[in-house]
Amino acid sequence: MKTANVLLLISVLLYINASTEWPTHTVCKEDNLEIYYKSCDPQQDFSFSIDHCSDIATHTFDVKAAMTLRHSIKKLYVKLAMIINGKTVLTYSDMLCGPGHNKLIFCGKKKGERLQYEGPVTLGIKEIPQGDYTLSAKLTNEDDVTVACADFTVKNYLDYY
Amino acid sequence: MPRRGALCVGTLLVLLQLAFVPSPLAGCLLNPCVEITPNTTFRCTGLNISGVPEGVPNTTQNLDLSFSNLKSLGSNYFASVPELQLLDLSRCHLHSIEDNSFMDLPRLSTLILTANSLQHLGKAAFHGLTSLKKLVLVETNRTSLSELPIGHLHTLQELNLGHNSITSLKLPEYFANMTSLRHLSFFSNKITSISRGDLDALRGGNRLNLTLVLSLNNIKSIEPGALAGIRLAELALRSTFENFSVMQESLQGLAGLQVSRLVLGEFSDAERLEGFERGLLSGLCQVQMEEFVLFCLKDFEHDTDTLFDCISNVSTIRLVDLGLEKISEVPPLSKVKHLECKKCDFEEVPAWKLSLFKELRVLRITKNRSLKDFKQKFEGLSKLEVMDFSENSLNIRTCCSPKFQNCPNLKHLNLSFNSYIRLTGDFTSVKNLLYLDLQHTTLFGPGSYPVFLSLQKLIYLDISHTKTEVKSQCTFCGLNSLQVLKMAGNSFGDNKLENNFKNLTHLHTLDISSCKLEQVDPSTFDALSELKELNISNNKLLTFDPGVYQPLQALRVLDFSRNQLTVLLESAREVLPHSLVLLDISQNLFDCSCVYLDFLKWVKEEQELLQNEELMLCHMPSYVANVSLLSFDLSSCHVSMGTVVLSMFLLSSALLLLFLIYRYYFQLYYSLVLLSGCKHSAERGETYDAFVIHSSKDQEWVIKELVEPLEGGTPPFHLCLYFRDFLPGVPVVTNIIEEGFLSSRNVIAVISTDFLESKWCSFEFDIAQSWQLVEGKAGIIMVVLEGVNKALLRQRLGLSRYLRRNTYLEWKDKEISKHIFWRQLTGVLLEGKNWHQEEVKLM
Repeated sequence: MKTANVLLLISVLLYINASTEWPTHTVCKEDNLEIYYKSCDPQQDFSFSIDHCSDIATHTFDVKAAMTLRHSIKKLYVKLAMIINGKTVLTYSDMLCGPGHNKLIFCGKKKGERLQYEGPVTLGIKEIPQGDYTLSAKLTNEDDVTVACADFTVKNYLDYY
Repeated sequence: MPRRGALCVGTLLVLLQLAFVPSPLAGCLLNPCVEITPNTTFRCTGLNISGVPEGVPNTTQNLDLSFSNLKSLGSNYFASVPELQLLDLSRCHLHSIEDNSFMDLPRLSTLILTANSLQHLGKAAFHGLTSLKKLVLVETNRTSLSELPIGHLHTLQELNLGHNSITSLKLPEYFANMTSLRHLSFFSNKITSISRGDLDALRGGNRLNLTLVLSLNNIKSIEPGALAGIRLAELALRSTFENFSVMQESLQGLAGLQVSRLVLGEFSDAERLEGFERGLLSGLCQVQMEEFVLFCLKDFEHDTDTLFDCISNVSTIRLVDLGLEKISEVPPLSKVKHLECKKCDFEEVPAWKLSLFKELRVLRITKNRSLKDFKQKFEGLSKLEVMDFSENSLNIRTCCSPKFQNCPNLKHLNLSFNSYIRLTGDFTSVKNLLYLDLQHTTLFGPGSYPVFLSLQKLIYLDISHTKTEVKSQCTFCGLNSLQVLKMAGNSFGDNKLENNFKNLTHLHTLDISSCKLEQVDPSTFDALSELKELNISNNKLLTFDPGVYQPLQALRVLDFSRNQLTVLLESAREVLPHSLVLLDISQNLFDCSCVYLDFLKWVKEEQELLQNEELMLCHMPSYVANVSLLSFDLSSCHVSMGTVVLSMFLLSSALLLLFLIYRYYFQLYYSLVLLSGCKHSAERGETYDAFVIHSSKDQEWVIKELVEPLEGGTPPFHLCLYFRDFLPGVPVVTNIIEEGFLSSRNVIAVISTDFLESKWCSFEFDIAQSWQLVEGKAGIIMVVLEGVNKALLRQRLGLSRYLRRNTYLEWKDKEISKHIFWRQLTGVLLEGKNWHQEEVKLM
C-alpha cells in the first residue's frame, strides 16, 4: 500500500511538470488555410474561433474569444511576433486599453471576470503573409503580467484579391 | 476500515489538487500559500479548501484566495486573520455567504467578490465590516439593489456592481447615509429607465464627488427631472441607448443635472448608434457641466452643425475616436477653454473654425493619422497657451509664424511625431513660446541656418530624431533662455561637436545621444557652466578628454554609456565635478588590463555614483571579455605582480648560477669527477708512482733532475708527466684527474716562481690538496726550487700555510744537498709501493 502511495506521489509530481502544456486547438482547416493555436500561459487555456476563415482574405473578419481573467486589465497591451523557422521576422505591439483610451468594452475588467470578445478584427497590414509560420501573441497588463498568451500555427496559401 | 479508506482517498485528492497549482506552489507541500511580503501579504490561489489555509498567520493584512473552491462562507470564517485589510475572493465558486461571515474583520477596507454566482446572501452577511471602503460585487448574480444587505456600510467609498442583472436604479434610502461614496458602478446591467425619485438618496448633503457609471445598460427613457438638482463628479453613459431617438430623448431627461464630467458615446466593439445626427445632444443645454467627453461615434457627415450647440459653454471638451472630418458650425461666444480631438478623421487642420473658440487655452488634435494638411491659419486666439498636434501625419511647408496669427500667448507648441515640417525661421507671431517639441518629425531648416533666432524666451526645445544635420555654427543662435535641449538621433557635420552651444548659457539639460559623434572640440562646453544633465550616450567617442568636460562644474547627471571608451583615466576622473550624482559609463569597450588597476579600483569604490554597473563589461584583453567590471578580480593583478617578481628573481638566480658555473667551471667539474672518481679509484690500478705537478717552464729541470735520476735509478720509479703521459684528445682537466691523480700514488709538486704564476698549476695543486683530504693520506711531496719569491709564496695563502704545516724538500744546486734530496725523495716514493715481481727481481 505504501509503495503504491509513493509511486502515485511520484507520478503526481511528474504530472505537475508535464501538465503545463495545453492541447492544440484547430481554428481553421481548409484547403488553402490552416490555423491552429495553443495557449502558452501555464495557468490557463482559452477559446478562440474565426467565424468564416475565408474572410481573412478580406482583411476584416469576425472572431470570438473567451477566457477567464486571472489579472485585472486596467491597461492591456498586445504584442505579436511572427516567427519563421525559429527566427522572429516581424513584431507588432499596441495598447488596447488604457486610461482615457477605453474604446473596447472589456477594458477595465477585473481579475476573475470573464472576458468575451465577439466582433471584427481588422488587420493593419495589406495581406496576411503566405507560407508556414508561427504567430506568437501575448497580452500583458499594467503590471506587465501575462494575461493571455498563445502561439498560432498558420499554413496560409490563400489568394488575395 | 471504510473510514480509513476514505481518508486515504482524501489524501490522494489533495495530492491531485496540488498537481494543478503552479509548480512553485507545489514546491512547498505543507504551505500552499505564497508569501508576497513577509507576514502581511499571502496569495493562496486555486486551492480546494474550506477555511483560511493554515499557513496564513494572524498578522496577515492582504489575503488573495481567488480561484479557490470555497463554495460557501460561514459565520466568523476569517476569525484567524483579524488584521485583514484586503480580501480577494474572485471566482471562488461561492454560492452562499452566511450571516456574520466577515464578523472579525474590523480593519477590512477592500472586499472583492468578483465572479461568484451568489445564490444566498445573508441579511447580516457584511456585518462587522466597520472600515470597508471598497466592495466589488461584479458578476455576482445580483438582480436588485434593495436586497443588498449593505445599508450599514457607512464608510463605503466604492461600490462596483458591474456585470449583474440589476433592472432598477432605485437607490434604497440607506445610500443617503453613505456620505463617503465616491464611485458607484452599474456597468453592464439591465437598467431600462431612470425615473423621478430613483436617485433621491443622492440629493441631500454635499455630494460633489460621486462618479456614477451606467454604461452598457439598456436605458429606454430618463424621466425629465429624474436628475434635477443632483450633483455628480462624473456620469458615464456609454453604449447605454439603443438608438438615436432614444438617446436624444433620454438626454432631455438629464435637465437640471450638475456634473463635473459627462461621458457619452459608444465602445468601438459595441456600436449601436448609426451615427451622429442633428440635435442628438440638444438635451445637454439644460445640463450644467465642466467637462464633456464623447467616444466612438461614426458617420458625422455634414451634421456637425449642432455638435457644439449645447456644449459650447462647457470648459473642457474631449472628442475621442470620432468619425469627425470637419467642424462646420461653432456657436458664437463659446466658452470652451480646453478642446481635444483624439483619433478623429480630419484631413486638414480646421484652423478657421477652431479660431472661433475665442476662449480657447488648450487645443489638442492628436493621433489623427489622416491629418496631413495645415493650410488654414489660426487667428486671434489671444488666450491660447497650449497647442498639441502630435502623432498626426502633418506636412507643413512654412512654419510657424504664418500659421498662428495673433496668438501672442502661445507658450507650448507640440508638433512631434508628424511627417515633415519646414521651419522658415519666422516665429515672430509666437515669439513668447516657451516649449517647442518637434521630435520624430522630419525637419528642414535647423542645422543649415539659424532658424530659432526670434525664440528668445524658449526654455524647452526637442528636435530629437528629426534628421537634422548641424552644419551651421549658429544653429542655436537666439535661444538665449534655453534650459533644455534634446536632439538625440541627429548628426553633426564631420561627426564632430564644435562650438555649437556657445550662446546657451542657461542650459540645464542637453541630450546629444545617438548623434554619431566621433570627436568633441575642447571648447564645446565652455559656455555651459549651468548644465546639470548631459546625455552623450550611444556615440562613437573614444576618449573622455578632461579639458572638454572641465567647464561643466554644475553637472549632476552624465550619461556616457554606449561609446567606445576604454578607460576613464585619473586626469578625467579628477575633472568630474563634486556635484555629480549619477554617472553612466556602461556599455563601453573597457580595457581591463592590470595597467588600469587604479580605474578598476575606482569603479568598485564609486558604485553609488555609477549607473548600470551590471552593463559595465570588460572588452579587452580577450581572456576577460564580457566579464563585469564589478566582478573583475582585482587580486588577479596583485598575483601577477607577485609572479613577475618571482620570475624576475628566478631569472636572476639562474643568471647568477650560470655565471658561477662559468666562473668555477674547473672546480665544479673536478668535484663532479671527484665524487664519481671516489667510487672507482679503488678499482683503478696505480700505474704511476708519482704525478709531477710543475710549470711548463720548469720542464727542463724536471727531465734532468727528476725523471732521469728516478726512472733510470734503482728501483726504477714511474712518473706521470703531463707532456709525456697525458692522452691526446681528452680535455686537460680529465687528463689531470684520470691520468694524474687517480693513477698515481703520490704527487710531486715542483714549486717555482713560474708554478705560483701558472693557473693550471695552482688548479692542480688545489685538486691535490682536496685529493689528499678525501683519500686521507699525505701524498703530496713538495719540492721548492731555488729562488722562489717568498712574498709571492705568502700571497698564495693556502700554499704558504701548507708549506708551514708540512715538511717539504728544498732543492739546492749543491752536490750534498742533491744527495740528501734524492735520498729523501726516494724514501717517500718507496713507501707503500707494491713491488711487482719483476721489480723485486731486479732489486
